[in-house]
Formats: sequence, C-alpha cells, structure tokens
Amino acid sequence: MIVFKTFLKVLNKCKGIIIFETALLIFFGGYNIETNDVSINFVSSNPNILIINSDKKEGITKNLINYIENNSNIVDIDENLIDDALFYRDVNYIIYIKDNFRNNFINNNEIGIEVKSTGDYQSSLAEMMLSRYLKIASIYNEISNSEEELISYIDNTLQNKSEIETTSKLNTEKLNKATVYYNFTNYCFLAGSIYVICLVLSSFRNKNIKMRTIISSMNYKKYNRKLLISCSMFAITLWLLYVLLSFILIGSIMYTTHGLLYIINALVFTFCTLTLAFLLGNILKNKTVINGIINVVALGSSFLCGAFVPMEWLPDYVINIAHILPSYYFIKNNELLKTIEVFNFDTMKPIIINMIIVIIFSGLFIIITNIISKRQRKID
Amino acid sequence: MFTHNFKYSLKTLFKNKTLIFWTFAFPIILGTFFNMAFSNIEKNETLSIIDIAIVENDEFKNNKVFLETIKTLSDKENEKRLFDTKYVDINEAKKLLSNKKITGYLILEDTPKIIVNSSGINETILKYVIDEITQNEIIINNIINNKIKNNVYTDEIYNEVMQKLESNININHIQNQNLSYTMIEYYTLIALACLYGGILGMSSVGKTQANMCSTGKRISVSSTSKIKIIFSSILASYIVELIGIILLFLYTIFIIKVDYGNNLILVILLSVVGSLTGLSLGILITTVLKSNFNIKLGIIISTTTLLCFLSGMMGITMKYTIDKNIPIINKINPASMITDGFYSLYYYGAGDRFYFNIISLLISAGIMVLISLFSLRRKKYDSI
Repeated sequence: MIVFKTFLKVLNKCKGIIIFETALLIFFGGYNIETNDVSINFVSSNPNILIINSDKKEGITKNLINYIENNSNIVDIDENLIDDALFYRDVNYIIYIKDNFRNNFINNNEIGIEVKSTGDYQSSLAEMMLSRYLKIASIYNEISNSEEELISYIDNTLQNKSEIETTSKLNTEKLNKATVYYNFTNYCFLAGSIYVICLVLSSFRNKNIKMRTIISSMNYKKYNRKLLISCSMFAITLWLLYVLLSFILIGSIMYTTHGLLYIINALVFTFCTLTLAFLLGNILKNKTVINGIINVVALGSSFLCGAFVPMEWLPDYVINIAHILPSYYFIKNNELLKTIEVFNFDTMKPIIINMIIVIIFSGLFIIITNIISKRQRKID
Repeated sequence: MFTHNFKYSLKTLFKNKTLIFWTFAFPIILGTFFNMAFSNIEKNETLSIIDIAIVENDEFKNNKVFLETIKTLSDKENEKRLFDTKYVDINEAKKLLSNKKITGYLILEDTPKIIVNSSGINETILKYVIDEITQNEIIINNIINNKIKNNVYTDEIYNEVMQKLESNININHIQNQNLSYTMIEYYTLIALACLYGGILGMSSVGKTQANMCSTGKRISVSSTSKIKIIFSSILASYIVELIGIILLFLYTIFIIKVDYGNNLILVILLSVVGSLTGLSLGILITTVLKSNFNIKLGIIISTTTLLCFLSGMMGITMKYTIDKNIPIINKINPASMITDGFYSLYYYGAGDRFYFNIISLLISAGIMVLISLFSLRRKKYDSI
C-alpha cells in the first residue's frame, strides 16, 4: 500500500507532462477528423487550385474555369497569404488568367498563362489538367467556326472518361486515421511511461529508503517485481486513456476487428515501454537527467520508426537502424493493419511475429534490469 | 568585480552538464532526428514513375492510339516517362495487383476499364492519363471527320493531331524556387535553441537570488554591487548561448545542409536578437516565479516546447494555420517571430516582414527585461 501511495504522490507531480502529451495526441488524432465517412468506391485526389482571373468570365475563359472547378478543389485565400499558402501546401497550384485571355485564345495570339506550383504530385496533376484543356482547345480552335462550336467540341470530348473499379473493400481513410493516431501514441507511451516511472523509481532510490530496502529480507527480484506491478498500473491506465480517446476521435472503425488489433498491439507495446522505463529508471540516478533522456529516447524512437512521418517516406538507412528499436515493430504492425482485408493465419502471421519481437524486447529489458539491479545492490 | 564574476560565471555554466545538454547537445540531437526523418519527404512528393499493367488482349493490340501512347509514356528514353508498364494476361494482372506490385491495370473493352486496389494519387493519375488517351481518340476522329468529311483514316491527319497532343503548352512558371517547406522544421529548431537560452538566464540570475540557493544568500548579504553581479552573469549566459547557437548553425549548414537564404548578416542579426529574447524569457520566469530550480527548468522547457509547437515544430503547417485563423498568437510568440524571420529571409528575402519580426523580438525582450528588473529591485527577506 505504501508503494501505491508513493506512486500516486509522484504521479500527481507529473500530471503536467501527461496532460501536455494527451493534448498533443488529441490534436494529432483529431487533425484527420475532417475526413468524412467515405465510400469504398474510387475517389479522385483533387489538387487544391486557386484561379486568379483578370479576364471577364465569359466564353472560353468561363469554360476553362468551370473545367478546373469541376476537377479540383477551388480554394479561397486572402490575397496577402497567397505565397504563404503555396509554401505551406494549402494550395498546390495557382493559375493567373490574364486580361484579354479569351480574345487572344480565339485569335491564336499568345495567351501568356502564368502559374505558381508547389512541384508536388498534386500540382503535377493540376498542370496535366490545365495543359490538357489548353491543348484540346487549341486543336479544336483550328476547325471551329465559332466560340460556341469550340466549347461544344471541348465539352463533348472531355466528358468521355474511362471506368474505374477498386478491388479493396476497406475504408482506407478511417484506417489511415487510426494508424496515424496509434503511430503517434508511440511517443506518448514512451515519454509518459519513462517520465513517470523514472521519477517514481528515483524516489525509491533515495539513499535512506534504498538502505532500508537492502537490509530487509525481501529478495531483489521480488522487490523489482513489486515495483514493476505498481508501475504497470500506471501504464495500463495510460493505455486505457489513449484507447478511450481513440474511440472518441476515430469512431466506428475501433469497433471492428481492425480496432481490436490496434488496441492489442498498443497493449503489447505498453508492456514494452513499461519494461524499458523500468530499465532506464534503474540506470538513471539524477532526476534532472531524466528529462533529457526521455526526449532523446522518445523523440528518437518516434522520428526513426515513423511515428511522426509515414514509414514509407523514411530513407532506407533510417529504416534499417529502426529495426533495433521496439517502436519499429509496433508501428510496422499499425501500418500492416490498415492493409489487411481478410483475417486469416497468413495475413495475421507478420503481425503476430512483430508482437512476439516486441515481447522479446520486453523480456530482454527485464533481464538487463535484474542484472543491473543485482550488481547495484552489491556495489551499494 | 564585473570581470571576476563574468569569468567564474562562464566557468560555472560550462561545467553544468544539464545546461550544456539542453543548450548545446539537445538541439543538435533533435536536428539529427529531423534530418533522418524529413530528408526524403519532399522527394516522395514529386511525381515518380508509376508501375502499371496492361491486359494485352486483341482490343488493345488493334488500338493504335492506346498502343502508341502507352508505349511512349513507358519509354525509358522519354524524359516525360510516366509509367513502368507490364503487358500481361488478366490472371497475371490480378496477381500483380493483389501483391501490390502495380498501382492498377487496364483492360480495353468497349470502354477502357481500370482496376485499382484503392483510391490514391497514383491511381488518380493513372485514370487521368487513360481518360486523356480515350479523349485523344475522340479528338482524332473529330478532326478526321471535319477535315475530310468522311471516315477514312489517314495516317497524315493522325500523325499531325498526335504531334499536337504530345507537344508542350507554353505555361509560364513564376513561383519562388525556395519552396522547401521542411526548412521550417530547422528554423523552429533554431528558435528552440534561442529560447532554451532561457535556461542559462535562469541559472545566472537564479544564483543571485537569496530564495533560490545559498550562493544567492551570500551575494545578498555581501556589499558587492548587485547590478554588476547580475549583468556580468547575464552577459556570460548570453555568450554561452551564442556559442551554442553558432555550433548549431555550423552543424545545420555544413552537415544537414539547411538553406537560410543568401543574407548571412541578417541571419546572424536574427539569431543574436532571438537569443536575447530567449534569455529574457528565462530571466522573467526566474524572477517572477517563486519556486525551486527544477520547477523553473520544467516551466522553461515546457513553455519553449509549447511555443515551438505553435510555430510549427511538430507539424509544419501549424504556424500557417495559426497565421490564417488566429494571427495574434504568432505575433506575440517569440518562437514564431524567430521562425517567421528565417522563413521570410528564405522565401521572400530581406524586407518589411523580416524587420517587423526583429523589432517584435526586441520589444518582447525589452518588456521581459523591464518586468524582471522591477521584480529584482529592493528585495528584502524577513526569513528564508
């Protein structure tokens, strides 16, 4: 009971960092909330385009604007923020239609169209769209007798489209959201567990308390086990809190088998962070050092293993380094989960293997903790 | 006395491992993590070659427009190559798709049909290109109908139209070339290092305060001029902070290859002013709050983390989102002022926006120093 009371006292001191991390998690998890309950049919990725038209919105100018509007997300941005919006990818492509565009186009004069582009996928798609329209329009302009005929040719041509079918019946947007959320919990579990557990353990390592413990009849393994169990309570509470939040932020997908597996995967990882925190708590003697170590371990694991940046965007050498960290297997499982359609032994095999690796890491941390703890008792 | 205290303050600061970790080592470690995580982001966002498959049935073999366009778009010699195409039968195409070896496959029947795993940007581009080829067929037919008024298929007209369709349209790109948005992460890192200078400010001013440590008690009862002690300590902290910033700059410029724009003098000016603001923030927290060293350290670290979070450290678009919706927050956030200063130098060059940030930082530092001076004046303790 004394252990629990002390634990609660220290926990109360650490509430600041836990609240801060939870707020970050809510922000990151909630960031993707805007996505709708999408259908399983194909949905085009539309670029964000801003059109700045200096010509009258009539004839071919109007037709061009309508075509772009129908095939993209038209964004409305404050004039002073246009360049900032381009830099921060709020808009992918800005089209400047000059004064007299319509007349110049019809008369085959220089139209002088200007654009600003971010150079990414979306802007490439926007440019394909714009140049496509202009090419078609200029070809038909040669054979058309009037602007109406030209527009009719363009519209009739552009309405012809291929059929597209998706094979996956997964709700990829919701699963993506769940993956982003649970990937981010990697940082929260690590930072939260290490900070609190290290502080709890450093309180137990107070010279007087430690001397009393050493001369007691309690075996060091039993002592470590009791401490581990008390710290487990905190870790489980943290896990429950983040799982509960995921139900609120992500919603329906959490009630499916996918959701259950995200939760189990997080539980396995929580156990691993607990043992890692326990190990670090036994190594670190100085309370002021704890803060630095948390940041290096938690941020390092999160950056290297893809908690903040999607794993597929990390360079190969970073991924190779990440293999030595348990976070990699936790995040890898989250990434795998969003692609699984049918649950059977074959599809579940890599997930189970990754979970086993995380458990092996946990076992390793426990063994190292016991070795260090035993040596320290002898030294002391 | 000033020189004596300055010299020993420098020695004390350099020997304090916690301070050195936060002000020297941590920003460099974080910068390394940023570099590892973000170095590929922008490369991954540019258009790359898409793996596709074509079901090689009779319809496809007999369709000249599809056959030739796909061949051109898959040609390794073509600068505008878009696809890496495999010509296979339907079963092989299904297998490739289910193994995620391809983005999608095309079956040419009465209408072209694309099969993909799910929605996405590569899938959208594939569909867009197939739509384009479908429309090219219609354009060719319309031109032939118009030019010779019958359905005779002539190679000459076909070649002429295809040439036009494959030609480039003159679109003039007028955007700034400095569009690397991951630079923001490194700018927030410099902001973080500047504001962590507050820890040094806390340490130097804290040691002169009687309610914080025994050195402070001794200084308080001594006959030495407090102003000399405080200013020499602050100067020592400022110099240590600037050394940390210089090291970080050298690391980010030569190892990580961060682009700070072309105006080195203004970059230095911004760093010097930013460091001063960070130092002032630390002094303010130390003088205004009545608590021990560890709590004040925690407050400086969490305040700095929060301010850097708002300026885009944990999500590049955060600063822009705040600028768009609640701009006042960034106008009073020193981390955002520093980040925005570097951003404006990189993206717009030296101008009003940059100098506005410099002036805002100086005003913030001035206000914080003034408040600190008022709370440091004429302190008396009945009992400590």
